[in-house]
Amino acid sequence: MITSAHNSFSRWTPAWFLAPALAITAAIVLVPAVQTIWLSLHDYLLYEPDAATFIGLRNFAAILQDEVFWISLGHSAIWIVGVVGLQFLLGLGTALLLNQSFWWRGFARALVVVPWALPSVIIGLMWTWMYDFNVGVLNDMLVRTGIIDAPIAWLARPDLALPSIMAALIWQGFPFFAITILAGLQTIPSELYEAAEIDGANRGQMLRHITLPSIADVIATALLLRTIWVANSLDVILVMTGGGPGYATHTLPLYSFVRAYNSMEFGYGAALALILTLLLLTVVWLYVRRASRDLDR
Amino acid sequence: MERRDFLKLSAAAALAAPLARPAIAQTPATVRWWYHFDNPQNTPAALVAKFEAENPGIKIQAEAIPWGGGNDYQTRLFAALVAGNGPDAAMVRLSWAARLAAMKALEPIDSMIGGWAGRSDIPDNIWKINKGADGKQYYLPLQYVVIYLYYRPDLFQQAGIQPPKTFDEFLAAAKALTKGDMAGFGMRGGAGGFDNWGPFVIGGGASFEKGGMVSEKALAANRWYVGLARDAKVTPASAPTDSFRQIVDAFKAGRTAMIMHHVGSANEIVGALGDKVSAVPVPRAADGRGWTYFGDESNAVFAASKAKEAAFKWIAFLSTADNNIELNKLTGQLPITTSGAAKWTGHPKRFVDASQASLPIAGSLPDHPKTPDFIARIWPTNMQRALNGEISPDDMMKAIEQHFNG
Repeated sequence: MITSAHNSFSRWTPAWFLAPALAITAAIVLVPAVQTIWLSLHDYLLYEPDAATFIGLRNFAAILQDEVFWISLGHSAIWIVGVVGLQFLLGLGTALLLNQSFWWRGFARALVVVPWALPSVIIGLMWTWMYDFNVGVLNDMLVRTGIIDAPIAWLARPDLALPSIMAALIWQGFPFFAITILAGLQTIPSELYEAAEIDGANRGQMLRHITLPSIADVIATALLLRTIWVANSLDVILVMTGGGPGYATHTLPLYSFVRAYNSMEFGYGAALALILTLLLLTVVWLYVRRASRDLDR
Repeated sequence: MERRDFLKLSAAAALAAPLARPAIAQTPATVRWWYHFDNPQNTPAALVAKFEAENPGIKIQAEAIPWGGGNDYQTRLFAALVAGNGPDAAMVRLSWAARLAAMKALEPIDSMIGGWAGRSDIPDNIWKINKGADGKQYYLPLQYVVIYLYYRPDLFQQAGIQPPKTFDEFLAAAKALTKGDMAGFGMRGGAGGFDNWGPFVIGGGASFEKGGMVSEKALAANRWYVGLARDAKVTPASAPTDSFRQIVDAFKAGRTAMIMHHVGSANEIVGALGDKVSAVPVPRAADGRGWTYFGDESNAVFAASKAKEAAFKWIAFLSTADNNIELNKLTGQLPITTSGAAKWTGHPKRFVDASQASLPIAGSLPDHPKTPDFIARIWPTNMQRALNGEISPDDMMKAIEQHFNG
């Protein structure tokens, strides 16, 4: 009897230890997620909470007809590929440089983290003023050095606004890649490079055949994580242009935010957010599969 | 003690703690009040201290909420009200009245105003503007501003021209003053810019009534306004996204010769330009018609508040003569009381005069649940697309008509 009670207690022990974490996750992730799904099926205006009506999938049908949704989706694709891709390349280059030995390496490594440590709102404001048409430092420098003749309205031109904000975000996020990849680089045994050198490999060959394969797992995980973050991020855009001029810097999360908070159409906003979630679930699925494969090793 | 017994005991103690309080709470009534000041360094602490000394039973918890062109403040207020965690009282705008009424979020204050000595110190027309659609009073007026035209007298004198009184004179002046790095008019196409557009387009014949945005007059007025940037090119290239900070800073830096804003920025601009800045009412259409934005600000008590009377005492205190003057020193706007206005020295006189001279044509936006969305989304996106040539000025007006009148 005692043994069986003891056994059943042991069997449940892991569950009890996990319960608080699961309960918190359910409360702060699962409940809001279910609530969002429920909201997306309603015509729900925040200022008329009692007049909410169930409309099934009509929000989703309306979204497919919504020109701004398609514009935002296109911008999101450019945003994710451009920001994550360039952050990665810049991060990789920085990590390779920081992995060399030079006398102020410690200082350089600390310095590179600064953009990552700054709050997004500060970054948004800082870059807005750097880009400012009348008093911005960027126009001032470019005009003084003769690169341009007249100031450019970086954030007011539909063709330049999105790339300008992307530059700010690339600057903010590349340290994440730099630090992660640097950590990966330091796990590569130096014997491999010595052996390659003896075999007459040049630097490019060493990068292609030793460095990159050795840190492939780190890169893949960093890319997946960063894709999820970048796809969701809207704070810098919101601060710098609010989605404008016109729809030029509307991305999917921003459009969802604008419809939910400015228009107070929480049903429509929830449906937009849900579509973004479904698209991102593919990336999440890849990440989880990767993480569990690592655990199984 | 066994560990499990200890846990049980702690849990029991935690549960019992609230019961240990005295049966009748002796704590004073606390009023949570939400406010926003343009200068975040200003604090209402002195006013709170004065009020609490006069009303020992009431504590004021003043919470500064970021304004964000009105959007941030409004979103937070509505979200807090829906979540049941709203303040007892807050600064509010007329353009939100319809939404707040739809939510039944406001407490009528007619009976409380009836017994308030300060009532007669606020002009009757202000009470009238602020009356609810159902005839009840929900808003207690606090301060006001009116959009007028800032201009550079020195540059006008050099060019041998007078401050503009009509749209044509405005365009002629803007053209004359656009030279090199200087743009004649610092147009606000970004957040909040409807108050730059209104004087020319609503003043030029558009209205929010059905069909009012797509009448021939309305369309022509909007084409003219968009044309300031696209055809006459008297605005900076950044106009489509320029907002409050950008237009004021460019004006202070001497990059624009005219901007439209209210008295709230007067002291800051005078700090940079001294006597080289003055103000006049916004120009009018050729037929003498005009419109400018009446920037109202009131306080309201919320229906869900458990301290309504205390909250009313606080907001009434803020709208009473000298307290109202002190508050307006913090907000940079104009006192709402007749006695306060007579004593007001918070701004150079020329800006107060320009505000008062603008009152006859000052109006608010429609009391409609879709007005906030017009300000925050419909106006800026369509204005910016029209300014960048992505849509025609007429399409912009059709979008506004569609928004209000389907």
